[in-house]
Amino acid sequence: MTSETYDTDPRPSRMSNRFRALWTQENVITIIVSAIVAIAVVLPLITLVVSSFLVLDDLGFSTEWSFGNYVTIVTDPIIPKAFLNTLIICSGCTVLATFLGVSLAWTNARTNCPGRTWLEPFNLIPFFLSPFIGAIAWHNMGEPKTGLLNNFFRDIFGIEGHVINIDNIWGVIWVTGIFFAPLVYLFVVGSLRRMDPSLEDSARTTGAGLFRTTMTVTLPLVMPGILSGAIIVFVTSAGEFGVPFKLSAPYGWETLTTQIFTKAVGDDANHYLGATMAMALGAITVFLIWIQRRYIAPRSFETVTGKGFRPNVLDLGSWKWVAFGYNILFILVAVILPIISLLIVSLHPVWQGTIMLDKITGINYVKTLFFWREESIDAATNGIFNSLFLAFVGASISMVLALVVSYMIHRTKGFGSWLLDFLCVVPIGFPGIVLAMGVLVTYIQTPIYATLWILLLGYITRFFPYGQRNIASILLSISEELDQSSRMAGATWVTTMRRITIPLLKPGIFAGWILLFVIFVRELSISIMLYTDGTETLAVGVYYLTNYENEPLTAALSLAQTLLCLICMIAFRRLAGKEALSA
Amino acid sequence: MSSNNNIDATVRISGLDKHFGPETAVLDFNILIEQGEFVTLLGPSGCGKTTTLRCVAGLERPDGGDIFIGDQLVASYEQDVYLNPEDRNIGMVFQSYAVWPHMTVFDNVAYGLRVRRAGKSEIKKRTMRALELVGLDHLADRYATKLSGGQRQRVALARAIVYEPRVILFDEPLSNLDAKLREQMRDEIVRLQKEVGITSIFVTHDQSEALVMSDRVVVMDKAVIQQVGDPQDIYANPANAFVANFIGVTSLLKGRVIGHSNSIYDIELPSIIGGEPLRLRATGETGIGEESEVHVSLRPEDVTLNTDKPSDAENLNLLEGKVIDTVYLGSFLECRVDVKGHEINIQIDHFENLSRDQTVFLTFRAEHALCLAN
Repeated sequence: MTSETYDTDPRPSRMSNRFRALWTQENVITIIVSAIVAIAVVLPLITLVVSSFLVLDDLGFSTEWSFGNYVTIVTDPIIPKAFLNTLIICSGCTVLATFLGVSLAWTNARTNCPGRTWLEPFNLIPFFLSPFIGAIAWHNMGEPKTGLLNNFFRDIFGIEGHVINIDNIWGVIWVTGIFFAPLVYLFVVGSLRRMDPSLEDSARTTGAGLFRTTMTVTLPLVMPGILSGAIIVFVTSAGEFGVPFKLSAPYGWETLTTQIFTKAVGDDANHYLGATMAMALGAITVFLIWIQRRYIAPRSFETVTGKGFRPNVLDLGSWKWVAFGYNILFILVAVILPIISLLIVSLHPVWQGTIMLDKITGINYVKTLFFWREESIDAATNGIFNSLFLAFVGASISMVLALVVSYMIHRTKGFGSWLLDFLCVVPIGFPGIVLAMGVLVTYIQTPIYATLWILLLGYITRFFPYGQRNIASILLSISEELDQSSRMAGATWVTTMRRITIPLLKPGIFAGWILLFVIFVRELSISIMLYTDGTETLAVGVYYLTNYENEPLTAALSLAQTLLCLICMIAFRRLAGKEALSA
Repeated sequence: MSSNNNIDATVRISGLDKHFGPETAVLDFNILIEQGEFVTLLGPSGCGKTTTLRCVAGLERPDGGDIFIGDQLVASYEQDVYLNPEDRNIGMVFQSYAVWPHMTVFDNVAYGLRVRRAGKSEIKKRTMRALELVGLDHLADRYATKLSGGQRQRVALARAIVYEPRVILFDEPLSNLDAKLREQMRDEIVRLQKEVGITSIFVTHDQSEALVMSDRVVVMDKAVIQQVGDPQDIYANPANAFVANFIGVTSLLKGRVIGHSNSIYDIELPSIIGGEPLRLRATGETGIGEESEVHVSLRPEDVTLNTDKPSDAENLNLLEGKVIDTVYLGSFLECRVDVKGHEINIQIDHFENLSRDQTVFLTFRAEHALCLAN
């Protein structure tokens, strides 16, 4: 019918006019949104580059152009060491997290390890918690004199001195390793679980034994996933601030992130030198992310076929209890022990390393959480309110932006959508502390400096791509014909979005929102760079307490934050389904 | 590739059972497959054919019975014998091709030889020969991901035959290919099998594949063998209504035996729309008792359709019915006729002008109407 109208009527029909009007309308939106995203993403990075070539004179009043900062970061007595420490931590963390992630994914997906169905959500809990809190908890357990575990070993086995000392770079590797293991797990478990079993069966029937099949077929097929996970862990640990700040920096092992922080705040702040170090760190992470996206992700093998077969499950015999014990041990050190230690410490007025049942008190919770009470601590109160505000508003704005951007990239495909796609990848390559350094030098002379809005801007710029990826993956799985048939039925673009597209994306939007909410609630490395008195966040509150108050108060607020994250995780799993995180 | 006449490559399965939880996948499966024979396991999905094959391959552990390859016992529930797949010296081709995407075509095919620790020059020689056999020698250095579906299946085939296994197992290898390619690959597999002379077990749900390719067909349904025979035998003399219906097109009429002499049965079909019952004469196995409920199977090509009542039909069955519809299928016309509530399919190779509800007369010989006991 429609084609007849086209054929007989030389003028464009109303239908095609509307299409044409919409086409340009969508283009205009794309350009506007691209411009906003470009300013938010590119401006801080450009300012960062520019600032790195500005050298502050000795008095700290005037600047001049030169490569001086780059000379400084090479010749400085501390910075090259910090750089080396960062490399050691990243390498160690990557090895540990990859080993843990792959072995746990394999036992869960491919062996008859008992309880493998209910173990998985527990294995993923660290993904939702803050490594900074993990460091605080492990400090409480592994500090040589007052550590709970050391005391436990002294009491039970009568050991003199200490068994573990967590306060060094090995401690940083340990904590980051167990906290980033779920990243590798998520990259690997999906392809292990959904791999077409005949890929392995055909190696077996061809004459290869189980071991040979695993080494020549199974592992090579998941290797791109393992490498991707490993690179993401390397980059994430390079940008990690909280753990080295708590465990290694106070004891003489500075890292790039703790050095950037020192140069950004405090008495001898030098933003330009900070920007230069951020440049160095950013250059490494961007390069690695580029390698991952350019060379490794495309090499991922298509190992999933339509035929729904159960994956080959290896019978471990009595070794399955070893596998089970290994998995329980991981959950113990990554989740249960840290939470218990926080709880124990938080119930004491002061912490001296021994549990004193007669001294147990709730005063630390009163001081940190009961904001209406006289004795409440401002940094904690501010942290709670600011973080809830930032997480709520930040997640909401990010998801709206993510929705529009995803639609522009994957549906309208208008002018500039490739640029948008690129801009959404860029922030993922920069650690939060690097981007925050850029935001700091960009907006330091504008009114938003020293307000909550600069934090909000930093949060959204750095993390909205996660929401965007969440929506994009669902958008790509929804047939475009669903939108188109709504349009064919006579609905406008807005009606189609409201009635068809957004309802279909709803689970993804909510899941993405909660994911961002969690990230914002525990966010430390951007906040620490951009906060001032009054704009502390939850993690900054914890930082304040651990720096200027005592461990029990710190533990109380840490536990509150952990609980909030756990609740969000449960909500996330409810909404997004079990496999939502798998890469 | 030399033929494997010198090694014993029969496959003997006796009393094979396999359960998945409460479900019975295979029940009391028995067969002796001769050396060099091409046997097809045919049946609807979930009938147990793939499970049987996987038991032979060693990818499933039987819950009962024995499997011999040659004189080697490879699996026995009673004697607690179970050889791993890699120790059975078999080849297998999978439905999803299962060509390894991280290896080249050459490496895929050479895999079995490398596992068997063949020498370098021998690996090269035999791999290239296998690739020549399937016509892919020019693509040896290509990665498997760059191949089409048909080419991947050829790689899988070369990979399975390159080390000259005793038996080759096919698990619906053609069902992922499009119609044209499927026929081409089908002929190629048959040619290759005859050339190499290797004992083959082929699983499919496609009856035309089974009829064209096999020396013998095993029809399965609901975990149980329904019939074993050569293709002509299965088509012409189905053992029961399931086989008759599953192999080719047939009309199944429900009736009752009212008289018989030897293998000739007189059958009464109740009129579903009321009125006089229908009578016809059919042939079947001896021993179906009087008053038994039976199915009569009529192949569409065995029924003649007449627009006028034929005068010379004394020795033939004659049924009067009304045309339901006709479907044009290119080389012939398919016509559905309603005979007092029974539906009969007829294949007409000459063009007829038939209108809906037109009265027609169907004639067929007693030996073409198969009486099948329930």
